[in-house]
Amino acid sequence: MAEKPIQGEKRVFMTGNEVAAWAALAAEADIMYGYPITPQNEIMHYWTRLSPKFDRGFLQTEDEISAGFTTCGGVLSGKRAFTATAGPGNTLMQESMTMAEMMRIPLVCVVQQRGGPSTATVIYSQQEATMTCYGGNGEGFRIVYSTSTHQELYDYVIKGFNTAWTYRFPTFVLGDGYQAKMRESLHIYDPATKGINMVATEPSLGLEGTPGVDRDPQHLRNTYNTEEELYEVVSELVADYEKAAPEIVEYQTFDTDDAEIVIVAHGIVTRAAQAAVKELREEGIKVGHFRPITLRPFPANELKEIASKAKKLIVMESAQGQFDRMVKHAIYGLTTPIEDYFKPGMGITSEEIVEYVKKGM
Amino acid sequence: MAKTVKIALAGEGGQGVQSVAGIMVGAANDKGREALYIPNFGVEQRGGVSVAFCQISDDKIGSPKFKKADLVIALSDRAVRRTTQYVDENTVFIYDSSIEDIEDDLPKNAKKVIGIPALDVAKKELHPRVFNVIIMGAAIEATHIVEMPEAKEALEKKLGYKFEQNPKLRPLNFTALEKGAELVKELL
Repeated sequence: MAEKPIQGEKRVFMTGNEVAAWAALAAEADIMYGYPITPQNEIMHYWTRLSPKFDRGFLQTEDEISAGFTTCGGVLSGKRAFTATAGPGNTLMQESMTMAEMMRIPLVCVVQQRGGPSTATVIYSQQEATMTCYGGNGEGFRIVYSTSTHQELYDYVIKGFNTAWTYRFPTFVLGDGYQAKMRESLHIYDPATKGINMVATEPSLGLEGTPGVDRDPQHLRNTYNTEEELYEVVSELVADYEKAAPEIVEYQTFDTDDAEIVIVAHGIVTRAAQAAVKELREEGIKVGHFRPITLRPFPANELKEIASKAKKLIVMESAQGQFDRMVKHAIYGLTTPIEDYFKPGMGITSEEIVEYVKKGM
Repeated sequence: MAKTVKIALAGEGGQGVQSVAGIMVGAANDKGREALYIPNFGVEQRGGVSVAFCQISDDKIGSPKFKKADLVIALSDRAVRRTTQYVDENTVFIYDSSIEDIEDDLPKNAKKVIGIPALDVAKKELHPRVFNVIIMGAAIEATHIVEMPEAKEALEKKLGYKFEQNPKLRPLNFTALEKGAELVKELL
């Protein structure tokens, strides 16, 4: 085998797309399947440039429908396979992602959200939150990490492969066009130096021996004949997902202990929220910030506890309420007032958060 | 908490604002500072106004874009009109003085508005291709995000292979950098 792509740890300064490619390399991903779409293109570009040096594979497909299904195929053959997409490409990929839910195919998909609806912008948004969590005709049996820095992008792409292969649910790393295109510093590392072992992969198809004689038959299905049969299968999925959820769920809090106002935000907006909280606290304003890292499963209990003590929640996102719906669903029953700050397809800065919080006091 | 320096560089596609933004923030990063650079881009392949948003700090940087900049450099009429939104009373606004009929569109609320003949100097004294390096010199002088020797090191790192092929390019680029700094020095 070729030597490790990253020896030890080093500080680098690069774009998020480059980060995602390096992380997949470091995570011992075997193959990427993909189709170009802005702002995700350079994940493929860097991967195709880097992967041959380390005996990894790449297949460019004819569209995202195919990219999603070939990723499923790669995983079924036992490969640590991944794909990446954005916007309308994410839309096309949903059918295969529901197949991955149904057949417990542990693929990894990096999403770099762009503006919507439709072609819209190639720049930035948080408008793919609902689709990435709940897209297709499924029930959202997925794991979705919403990252905010290049360091997290690196960490969670690596972690995403292990989460996927441990729990066998399709796993998404939800970035955005800003994260894709901006440059900032981070440390890239060989996971082994941090004590991270990559979870072993295994094939689901083409196994040795005669089914029923040498081994149990593999029973890979996404089609069922009766309502009862399907209900039983989906109920098992529900039970497995709910059992795994507490082990997977991740969140962060900032100054929430005595916070009267709690800003709830995910993804890159958390950076602005963290900076705003710091600034407002210096002025003695009792504001805090809750940030889910996993949108699926959602840290509902943790948010509910914090929200119950607050006088006001402000939900901030670069979409028209996609994240807000998750928040409201999670804290249903509380009477804490909720204000919305929606900027569909637009970035949110710490300056405007500070201004908004002060204006509402 | 150290202040974050915020810079918006804007020009026509092809003027090289994204390349110098990349070199500048790279220089700051090499020095161990925190830097964040994000290009603003549209669906078009070429043409249009291209804006580079740069932030340099000693701490981790917050949101990648910002409302108001410490320094705005605009290199075309459209770039001037596009970037006045990033100006407030703390902003130094630099534009190229060869831009015609722009007087009315220049920001009225800036700390300072400075016209520099970068394009003229590039064409007449140096070479049109180092126009963006003159701009980099001006940006560095106006913000001191890095010092001149570090800026030269960064140019060397980025363009060293070209300098090897044609050694005349090294002094040309370094002169352009110094010239840019000189153009704004007296006016700040």
